[in-house]
Amino acid sequence: MVKTFWATALTLPLFLGAAGAGAETALRLAFIGAEADSAYNGVLQGVKEANLQGRFLGWNYSLSRFAATELEGLDPSPFMALIVAADAETLRQAGHRFPGRAVLNVGAGDDALRRACSQNLLHVIPSDRMLEDAKGQWRQKSPGAEIRASGWHPDFVKFAARDLNKRFKKAFSQPMDQRAWAGWAAVKMVSDSIARKNLRDPAALLRHLKTDLSFDGQKGLDLNFRDTGQLRQLILIASAAGELLGEAPVKGVARLDDVDSLGRPSCKP
Amino acid sequence: MKHLVSAVLLLWGCLQLAHGASNRIFVTNERSNDISIINGASLEVEKTIAVGNRPRGIGISPDGAELYVAISEDNAIAVVSLETLELLRTFEAGSDPETFAVHPNGNIYISNEDDAKASVFDPVTGRQLAEIPVGLEPEGVAISPDGKQVIITSESTNMLHVIRVPEHDIVANILVGARPRAAVFNNSGALAYSTSEISGEVKKIDMEKHAIVATKKIADEKAKPKDVLLSKDESKLYVAGGRANQIIVLKADTLELLKKVPVGKRVWGLAMSKDGKRVFTTNGVSGTVSVIATENDQVIKTIEVGKFPWGVVIDD
Repeated sequence: MVKTFWATALTLPLFLGAAGAGAETALRLAFIGAEADSAYNGVLQGVKEANLQGRFLGWNYSLSRFAATELEGLDPSPFMALIVAADAETLRQAGHRFPGRAVLNVGAGDDALRRACSQNLLHVIPSDRMLEDAKGQWRQKSPGAEIRASGWHPDFVKFAARDLNKRFKKAFSQPMDQRAWAGWAAVKMVSDSIARKNLRDPAALLRHLKTDLSFDGQKGLDLNFRDTGQLRQLILIASAAGELLGEAPVKGVARLDDVDSLGRPSCKP
Repeated sequence: MKHLVSAVLLLWGCLQLAHGASNRIFVTNERSNDISIINGASLEVEKTIAVGNRPRGIGISPDGAELYVAISEDNAIAVVSLETLELLRTFEAGSDPETFAVHPNGNIYISNEDDAKASVFDPVTGRQLAEIPVGLEPEGVAISPDGKQVIITSESTNMLHVIRVPEHDIVANILVGARPRAAVFNNSGALAYSTSEISGEVKKIDMEKHAIVATKKIADEKAKPKDVLLSKDESKLYVAGGRANQIIVLKADTLELLKKVPVGKRVWGLAMSKDGKRVFTTNGVSGTVSVIATENDQVIKTIEVGKFPWGVVIDD
């Protein structure tokens, strides 16, 4: 059974930079989800960028992809962390199967997953309630507006979002959406943490991500996780036609840096 | 001998005439696509010139004859005569040139934000002399006064890349706080200071050991540190506080907070006069330049310039 997984796993070719510092340390990440999912492209972009940093530090990331159906027999031991773009049930299973390892949710907005306050599920993608609260704040300012809320927008330019959108579009010939951003951000927070703290132990990485993360997600704020496992972040508001209108927290309704005005702020009642 | 002295003095006088400092302050306005030229005595804008699209980084040749402006959207550097204020030429400078620094030997070191590289150009011929792969979103460029070391900050890779001159190889990669934006060397080149925008930090770095020796987290949550300058006597550090709308003055030795100087909105760029008496700040959202007297660190004048002033340099 396990053999099948390895046969279907896609391993990225090693990226060796010009300034590589001697022997390379290999670090492995797993992605669970569909190849066609934009989240996967985000993860690929994240791995490429992690390796650009890695060439200065002497390490290299590789990525293995598995379908959600392959989860049951998957051996977690080679992987520093798992990134999952799947439904809530698959995420719950992944959380149980990989105790002590970070399972980064880049696809499911279900509030129930956040309410569960799991030990190792970290939700990079915004919860449904965060998106609803963002729309609510926007409507307080502009009543009657028909709007959409999302964790990312391909026309977002502030906080060097422009650079990330350009890189992604150049690499994949498609605009970066919320799932792609979450996939990219999941890899970036893992590789940043490993670089800063020189972490090699998946459990130490999980602890660091939960309690000590300081991460630049190109959203202008220093991002970190709530005790629910949800990443605090800005939400972007677009018109029904998809035109970018602005950001939440919405100026005049909430404090601009009060990202806890969006979604359930804590596990505590 | 007397004649020789006279001849040397005469020659020196001619050189002074040719490239005498105009005491003007030059400011790039990112959104109005022009440069505001401020008279250093009256502190009034005396002229506005257009040189290309999205002007950002700005610098002056070591002989004081030419002004260089990174025109990011044209992927070029514009060269302006400091004597006539006319555009002399432009040369292609790679993709999206943003910040650069002028080496004492006259070459220009540029961060190419889109391309994860730094490049070296001879501004006389417009030829590219070297290309150095660095981290993602390279931004700040600092050159040590002796010209032997260059720091490039890569914003997304969170590193200071230390490059040797003339070898143009990377000798160290120093991990710093998230989104490093700018760096400055001290006079001997043994120390450097860098700012990180997202982590809100200023770091002091031992450039012999390539080790961080002090870190200051700016307490103001809105502080997104950008440009950084060292006072002439090396006792004080001036940090542009971004959306905190103030200049944060730190003790260079310990990074202890000395003073906060309110300026305009989204302050990014900084320049200091050669005599060390004045600091000029570009306040992007306000569209102004603040002039700070370093004697007491107070704003003595606020000057309206173009839209989104970005970089500033002094011809003194």
